[in-house]
Amino acid sequence: MFSQPEDFGPIISFTSQKGVRSVTFMEQHPGDTSTKDDGQEGGGIYIGDQESSREQDNPAETEKLPMSGVWVIDVGTFLAGPYAASILGEFGAEILKVEHPIAGDPMRRFGTPTKRHDATLAWLSEGRNRKSVTIDLRQKEGVELFLKLVAKSDVLVENFRPGTMEEWGLGWQVLSEANPGLVMLRVSGYGQTGPYRRRSGFAHIAHAFGGLSYLAGFPGETPVLPGTTPLGDYMSSLYGAIGIMLALRHREKTGRGQVVDIGTYEAVFRQLDEIAAAYGLFGKIREREGVGSFVAVPHGHFRTKDDKWIAIACTTDKMFERLSEAMERPELASSTLYGEQRKRLAARDVVNQIVIEWVGSLTREEVLRRCLDKEVPVGKVNSIADIFEDEHFRARGNLAHIEEEGLGEVVVPNVIPTLSETPARITNLGPPLGNATDEVMRELLGISVDEIRRLRQRKII
Amino acid sequence: MIHETKAELPLAGIRVIDVATVIAAPYCATVLGEFGAEVLKVEHPLGGDALRRFGTPTQRQGDTLTWLSEARNKKSVTIDLHRPEGVDLFKKLIEKSDILCENFRPGTLEKWGLGWEVLHDINPGLIMLRVTGYGQYGPYKDRPGFARIAHAVGGIAYLAGMPKGKPVTPGSTTLGDYLTGLYGCIGVLMALRYRERTGCGQYVDAALYESVFRCTDELVPIYGMYGIVRERHGPNHNEFECPHGHFPTKDGKWVAIACATDKLFARLAMAMERPELASSSTYGEQKTRLENCHDVNEIVRDWCGSLTREEVLERCYATGAPAGPLNNIADIFGNRQFHARRNLVAMDEEETGETIIVPSVIPRLSETPGQIRHLGPKLGEHTVEVLKDLLGIDDCQIDELRNKRVI
Repeated sequence: MFSQPEDFGPIISFTSQKGVRSVTFMEQHPGDTSTKDDGQEGGGIYIGDQESSREQDNPAETEKLPMSGVWVIDVGTFLAGPYAASILGEFGAEILKVEHPIAGDPMRRFGTPTKRHDATLAWLSEGRNRKSVTIDLRQKEGVELFLKLVAKSDVLVENFRPGTMEEWGLGWQVLSEANPGLVMLRVSGYGQTGPYRRRSGFAHIAHAFGGLSYLAGFPGETPVLPGTTPLGDYMSSLYGAIGIMLALRHREKTGRGQVVDIGTYEAVFRQLDEIAAAYGLFGKIREREGVGSFVAVPHGHFRTKDDKWIAIACTTDKMFERLSEAMERPELASSTLYGEQRKRLAARDVVNQIVIEWVGSLTREEVLRRCLDKEVPVGKVNSIADIFEDEHFRARGNLAHIEEEGLGEVVVPNVIPTLSETPARITNLGPPLGNATDEVMRELLGISVDEIRRLRQRKII
Repeated sequence: MIHETKAELPLAGIRVIDVATVIAAPYCATVLGEFGAEVLKVEHPLGGDALRRFGTPTQRQGDTLTWLSEARNKKSVTIDLHRPEGVDLFKKLIEKSDILCENFRPGTLEKWGLGWEVLHDINPGLIMLRVTGYGQYGPYKDRPGFARIAHAVGGIAYLAGMPKGKPVTPGSTTLGDYLTGLYGCIGVLMALRYRERTGCGQYVDAALYESVFRCTDELVPIYGMYGIVRERHGPNHNEFECPHGHFPTKDGKWVAIACATDKLFARLAMAMERPELASSSTYGEQKTRLENCHDVNEIVRDWCGSLTREEVLERCYATGAPAGPLNNIADIFGNRQFHARRNLVAMDEEETGETIIVPSVIPRLSETPGQIRHLGPKLGEHTVEVLKDLLGIDDCQIDELRNKRVI
């Protein structure tokens, strides 16, 4: 049942109403033969366009999601923390993004601008599945409104510098009194405690402080970025989402909420396998390893004849044996030569040189083909252009093509992980600033139209 | 240090079978175990999980430090799934469990008669995390995958390194494993929540390359809309922010500086005692800084190079400029923030007398903090306990299974 037909991509259908476009997303999972074929094919992605009201927007699908009925307030900025809210939203939670009435989330200005003045591409992609509500928390009336929202919500996500919410009268004690079941995710550069807690932190600093940046680059040379700039923001958000899910579970049993406290540097540091243990026991300081790795040889990136790069990872002796066969030099894997990891590690340069020369004598496609024939762990070092062309990305529906009003098609990474019964979805990209302020004030908080007008005039919302 | 528990942990009463290897899917089980789940690590009787041999060996039967740290809180149960008796035992375990974590290549469990349909029949509430290099379907599903390959395929290896230079390891070769473990854990917790409402289990299909690919900010939409292919940026990512990078200090160390906003650059200018740099006629605006990025970086590089790392950091912290040291692990062990947050936990291994220092549990929950009860178990340490107490198999049968090397 796992032979997934390759043309079963995700199914995306649009519903548009009052100028707000929303997208429902359904991953076809293996074994499911029902195909909601209401759109035209577009690179493994089905796109349809149908008018329907929000209430009729696949109610069964939304109710079916694990987080349906959960209300999340995201008062964070950029990604560290807010991405946790995005994940909850992808799995059915209602996310209210609370933003400053004038500036909004600075993420709206981070990255590449689009024709929409309040949205960069980064905002469109990572602001997904939210409604925007503007409230000025620096004003007393704004704080009161915010407390009313908190009283009606389940989860609050914030990433101000520790102490900031307390200054506004929105510390944990106050919030917890307003809503004893509240779960609060607090992400900051260094966490809520400790001597550095008040320091400003960004992922770039967290990569450095958490020990990852030191490891990226060539030995003795300039340490480089570990791939993407906000990696640590994603990491801390993943831990944040887990913390929230655990806290919700505890609340279901006891009725009590709690705080999830994450320093971004901690999320980075937690992922460095045995680096702490090896220093603790043997005083070993791991240094930059260039294209390779301390654990295995050959295990790195190699340049092909056509000036492209591939990754090869011979984690075990069996994998190296397969590589030797792919290189048509099976003798290399004999016990007298380099059959054992220990020997390969000792002769790192020699072994790597053999692989460098072999890979350099062939095109990327040739290397791939020969390695894959022998089941060697191998992959292209993909650029984003390679990724857009890749048949596997397409078959897995990893690229969601979403039509955004006024912008045309925006391509964003699709939801992961893939759940068989309750697949998540993208309902909308980053919303316009304040697109749901009125709706939330009126319907959730029961504030009159006149009062809303007054709040707006005073720039409280 | 073991956190004191104030309340019953959120996953108390949940039983997890971890039949996976190395880090990716097992790390999901590790997190579940830290928060109260009972984790049974099912391993091959000879050799066990390959993670036992990944990294630096210790005196304990050659179990590596990575194993000790990452197999924390697990119980080791040896069962040979290549044998029919082993498969039967495994099915009995599944009957009594809530979650299964596996990372065989697609089709392997099916070959042993342990595919999703079979397991789901045995236990309709079962939640199964399936981690592979490329996922359960798609044209590459049968290819072997490791995090190294996932970093390459998922697009982040391409981005790490000096411009036009060789793409380097993005810091650590196992990042993709951890990221996938985290996504897997989120999927499992979602599925658990859904099961509570409906009684219905499901499986989570996670691919290593997908986890990496998901963490790439606007790499995707910018290519989709403008056809811009992001290249390697070395230490300075100056597409959106300047200054933003790594700068060497007088004492041969490095600092990271990231001025995401104009306000933060103004604070840096203050730290450099050159507030005029942040005026609107000079480099006060991100746009101007990006246009003159080379010059701005030179100014910051010269300043950093004239001071020790500690001096640069002190001055930056004094004005609130976003800066930090590029810590190596020795720096980390000496750092008071790591100490204050108790990010390092020392655990004594009774048998060898070694003290093993490992990263403590994150995330930090105020009411129900996670726990490290013990480090990675010895191979088969809990086989008898589990077979007897959980499955009700008597000593005689256990001996027989052991003689036949099923366990």
